[in-house]
Parts: sequence; structure tokens; C-alpha cells
Amino acid sequence: MSTIPDKPSRVSVEERLFSLVLALIATEIGLTKAEILSTVQGYRQRYAVGGDNASLERQFERDKDDIRELGIPLETVEPPDDPGSNHHLRYRIPKGLYELPADVSFSADELMLLKLAATVWREGSLSGESRRALTKLNSLGIDSTDPVLGYSPTLRVRDASFEPLSKAMDRGQIVAFQYLKPGEGLPRRRRVAPQAVVLHEGRWHLFGTDEDAQATRTFLLSRIVGPVVTVPGATFVPGGAGKGQEALAELDALWRANLAEITVEPGSDAAVRLSKRQAVEPGRDPGESTVALHYTDLDILADELAGYGPEVLVRSPSALRTAVLARLIRVRDAHADAFLESDAEKEGTE
Amino acid sequence: MNAGPALGASDKLTFLLSLVPYLMDHESVSVSTVAAHFGVSPERVRDAVNLIAMSGIPGETRQYLHGDLFDIHWDEFETNDNIVLTHLVAIDDSPRFSAREAAALIAGLQYLSSLPENADVEAIASLMAKLTRSASATPSQVVVSSTEPGEAIALIKAAVARGVQIEFDYLSSRGGHEARHVDPMRIESVDRDWYLRGWCHLRGAMRTFRLDRMSGLRVTDVPAGSGSAGSLPDTLFQGSDSDLEVVVELPAAAVPLLADYAPQSAGPDAADGLVRQSIRVAHFHGLKRIVAGLSGLVTVIGPPEARALTRDWAAAGAARYDEAVPGDREG
Repeated sequence: MSTIPDKPSRVSVEERLFSLVLALIATEIGLTKAEILSTVQGYRQRYAVGGDNASLERQFERDKDDIRELGIPLETVEPPDDPGSNHHLRYRIPKGLYELPADVSFSADELMLLKLAATVWREGSLSGESRRALTKLNSLGIDSTDPVLGYSPTLRVRDASFEPLSKAMDRGQIVAFQYLKPGEGLPRRRRVAPQAVVLHEGRWHLFGTDEDAQATRTFLLSRIVGPVVTVPGATFVPGGAGKGQEALAELDALWRANLAEITVEPGSDAAVRLSKRQAVEPGRDPGESTVALHYTDLDILADELAGYGPEVLVRSPSALRTAVLARLIRVRDAHADAFLESDAEKEGTE
Repeated sequence: MNAGPALGASDKLTFLLSLVPYLMDHESVSVSTVAAHFGVSPERVRDAVNLIAMSGIPGETRQYLHGDLFDIHWDEFETNDNIVLTHLVAIDDSPRFSAREAAALIAGLQYLSSLPENADVEAIASLMAKLTRSASATPSQVVVSSTEPGEAIALIKAAVARGVQIEFDYLSSRGGHEARHVDPMRIESVDRDWYLRGWCHLRGAMRTFRLDRMSGLRVTDVPAGSGSAGSLPDTLFQGSDSDLEVVVELPAAAVPLLADYAPQSAGPDAADGLVRQSIRVAHFHGLKRIVAGLSGLVTVIGPPEARALTRDWAAAGAARYDEAVPGDREG
């Protein structure tokens, strides 16, 4: 193996990216775009000296994004004697920021826990990230026992908006989407600076700044009914670490402050399922058919309770009572016409 | 672990960048050892080693000369399937995590820490701090709150560990109670709901059960596993030939809310931005609950039986408010 032959054969994507990373780590002062395109494996084969390299330049822009996406700190350095010049921008990857900090190490037990944590994302969103994180962990050469697979708790994110939202959040991009607010019949377009995505009480929430209201809002991912698009040119400065915990604390406080009291039909679906969420209230002895529930959003709980039909009766708060009754009446009246003849025998099957 | 089906360039690049420091720490290591350690196929390891050995930096001559490339002991590699790195270029340590990679692991840990057997909160907190420091940017703000899945999970886990069946009373979505004996295999959660997947001895088939519909859960002494050799399908629910088709009308924007029921366009759209869709449900008793829980967005068009059941369900629910005064107890 003396030199890589200069043949114009196709260089694979990973070879080009790998070569680019190596070249940018090896350089102290950085490489200009022209230097990269003319010398680095995968580009140089397609570089036209003195010619038009527009498509190669676009390739380089995409590669830069892909590399940064993997957490590799690809930096742009402005030349001190010529600030603002695009032409003489230099690119490099500072080794100290590329490498794992020297004082970080993981024990075999910790590694096992991390492997289990990675398997939590079974499919879709963040499963690719977990997989790559595991590959990086494996490079440390720590041997660990595999976690017990018979019991593998997994998290599935069904909401299609999760992926574009979390990406926009990392990039500080403002997004727009159609949002069908619980309790409303028509969606409205929202423009939001996404700050955190939070799983609370089993539901994914987006926490962010509503650009039109200029205030913090919480959205349910399941109620985003159209594609999430980025607003061209609209960016914001992400709030940084702690935004997620802040959002969670707010939701928690809300959840604790709201309490609904409901009567459930013994033995029914509502009784079996809702009683598992029974709020623990000191000094209060709920009867068998009474359930107290904490909640964050009255309309969401009203939707759920209306689904139980006659199996539940809301006692309090009265706003919830009204909301559930209004929903039931709406559904009843929407189905009110026709089919009167065959009903009688079908009733009373519960 | 699973290497996943479709590996993109980012997976391959990550593997290359991770393999180099691993090989540096091992003077001589067999392809099979590396494959087992990273959980990939031996072919993938050989491909990667071939690529690494041919790669390097342009160097001062910009010609990728010998001294600017990685090198390996080729005889050892080709004859004995052993990898010995003999020359290194540019990198000598493991890469940091990306913001999203760190976030995926941190959120995974948060999720695990809410489970009873992972209650070592301090160990998990220190691990999260390490991950944060090991990321090249602030980890993405994806946060998972602790949930209380209850004691069922601990019981099921004990049963899995002992290799025994569990039994419980199960309330089916049709409203019937049945005693079930199940070989527990896996617990999964989708959003707010926890599911047990396992071999149901009553049905003689793989079944998925909602944890919140179980009562009287008990770990038995009956060994599990005799008839349950089959592997788990990756999807939680499969459509069935016996599914019923229902036509509903709803605002076009609300169609995604029915995504679980495979909505298909069913005939011309009505006025006012309403569309007609056909959805598939296991039975109409499930349908009436779904429709009643969508605050009037969705109207059942047919068949008539489904429409009537839905109306009666909502009507009976509404009627309860006629008979009761707040604060009263039901007789």
C-alpha cells in the first residue's frame, strides 16, 4: 500500500466522510474549501482544476451538516487578516472537542445500564441516535454483560411530529404546524420556537414560545395534525440545559393542582382503568366507586372521560362536568337521526 | 444488540471512528471478537478494516503517501483474520456524543429510573451528568417524566426471571372478564399505555394485554415456555381479517387522530371541509368509545348498527347527568 491510486472510481460516502474528518482533525490551522475539494479523498477525484465545482461545493455543504449532526465539532475559522471573507474561511475539527473528555469513564455496570437505556427507543425517533451512541460507547472497549432481554421496557413514539420538532429544537429553528386544540373543532396554524419535548403522564408535549402570542405554550404532539415545517430564516437561541426540566416542573405543578372527582360503574372498563390512576389523598377514604384523578388539561381529560360514556359520572369540578356532558350531547345529537327501529334489543348489553 | 436494518452513512462513519480507538487499545484482536463486541457481522468488520487501512490524510505532499495512511499487519488480517494496527493517523480517542445521542440515552435512563428495579437514583443521576459532559453540545431537551406503572411490572418481571406463568383477570375491550394464563415475554409502553406481550394459554396464541385492564395479577408456579417457542412480531397489534369496516365523517384536519385505525378515503367529501373515511375496528363496542372520546369531531355514517351503538352510548352517558345532582352518591 503506497498511495491511494488516483483513479476516478466511485469513493463510497463513508470513505469520503471519514477522509474529511481525518483531514480536518489533522490540520491545526484549518483547510480552505478549495484545499479540501482539491485534496481530500472523495472530493479530489471529482475536482476540476480551474473549472466549475458548484456541485462538489454543494456536496461539501451537505457533508458538513451530516458530520455536525453526528456531534463532530466542525468549526469555521475566519482569517484574522481578512475577517468576513468567505473565500478564505478555514475548516477544522479541534481534537480536544472531538474526543471524549479524558476524565470520563464508564464502569461495566454503567455500560449495561446505558445499553438498556438505548434499547428503550425501540424504533423510529431516536433509535438511530441510540444505536450510534452505543457504537461510540463500545469503542471504549469495556466488557459488560448484556441486559436481560426477557424484560425490555420500550418506548414507542407514534407522533410523526417528534422527529422534526426535536431536530428544529437542536438547530434553533422556528417551526410552524396546524394544531387542533383539544375541545376545538378546527385547527389553527401555530408558529413556535421549540424549547423542549417532554413525556409527561404518558403524553408527549412540546414546550415552546408561541411566536404570535409571544408567550410560552405547551402543545400535545398528538394534536399536531399537519406536517411540521421550519419557517425559512426564522431562528432563535435555544434555552439550553434545564428547559426540559422546567417544562416538566410546570406540567407537574399543574397536574398536582387539578383534581377531578368521578363516580365509576363498578367492574366497568372505566373502573378498572381509572382506579389505577387514583390520586393518593391523605386522610380521605375513597369509596369503591369513586375515583379522584389529577390532570393537566381539562379538555383532554374531558375527551377521555366522555369516551367512557355511561361508565363515569363527573362530580367535580363543575367545569369538567359541563365539558364532558357537552361532548356527550354533541356526539348523541350528531348520531340522532334514523335507525330507530332496531335499537331496543341492542341496549342494556353492558 | 441489534445493528438495525438500514444502516446509513452516518452509522458507517460512526463505526469507523469508533473502531479505530478500539483497535488501538488492542494490540491484536480477531475479527470475530470485534464483531461480537460491537454487535455487528464479521463482514462489516472486515469491510471497515479494509477501508481504514486504505485511509488517511492528504499530508504535506497532498498525495496520500504511505506515511499519511493507517496501516495494518496485512498477513495477520488476510491469513488469520486478526487485526493489528501498525500505523495511526489523526485520531486516537473515542468521539463525543452528539446532542441527540446524549439525549436519547439520558431520556432512556429517565424512563428506566421510573421502574422499580432501577431505583438507584444516584447512580443514574451521575451517569446522566457524565453523558452531558461527554456530548459535544448541550443534550437535546427531550425529557421523560417518571411514571408509576405500579406493582404489576415488578410481578411480571419476577415471573420472567423465574420462567413461570402469570395469571390474571382480564377485562377485554368488549367488556367481558376472563381468567388468563400467560407466559410473559416482554413489557412495552406506547405513550401512556403499558402492554404485556406473551403467550396466552386460553387463546393458544401470542397476545398483547393492556396492564391497566388486568386485575388480580398473580405469579404462579407453573413453568412457562413449553408452547411459546414463537418469536414476537415487532408490531404491537396486527390487523385481523375479522376487523369491521366503519365509515365516518370528520374534518379533514382531524384524520391524523384516527391514524391507528388505518383511515382510507371513502367516497366524495361532504361540505364544510368534512371528509368521509373508512376505518377498521375490532368491534363496534370499541368504536363507540373512540368516537365518544373525540369530542364530537367524528360522526359515524355507517353501518347503522355502529351508528346506533355510538348514539346510545353517548345518550346513556349524557342521561346520567339528568338523574344525578352533584355530590349525590349513585345507588
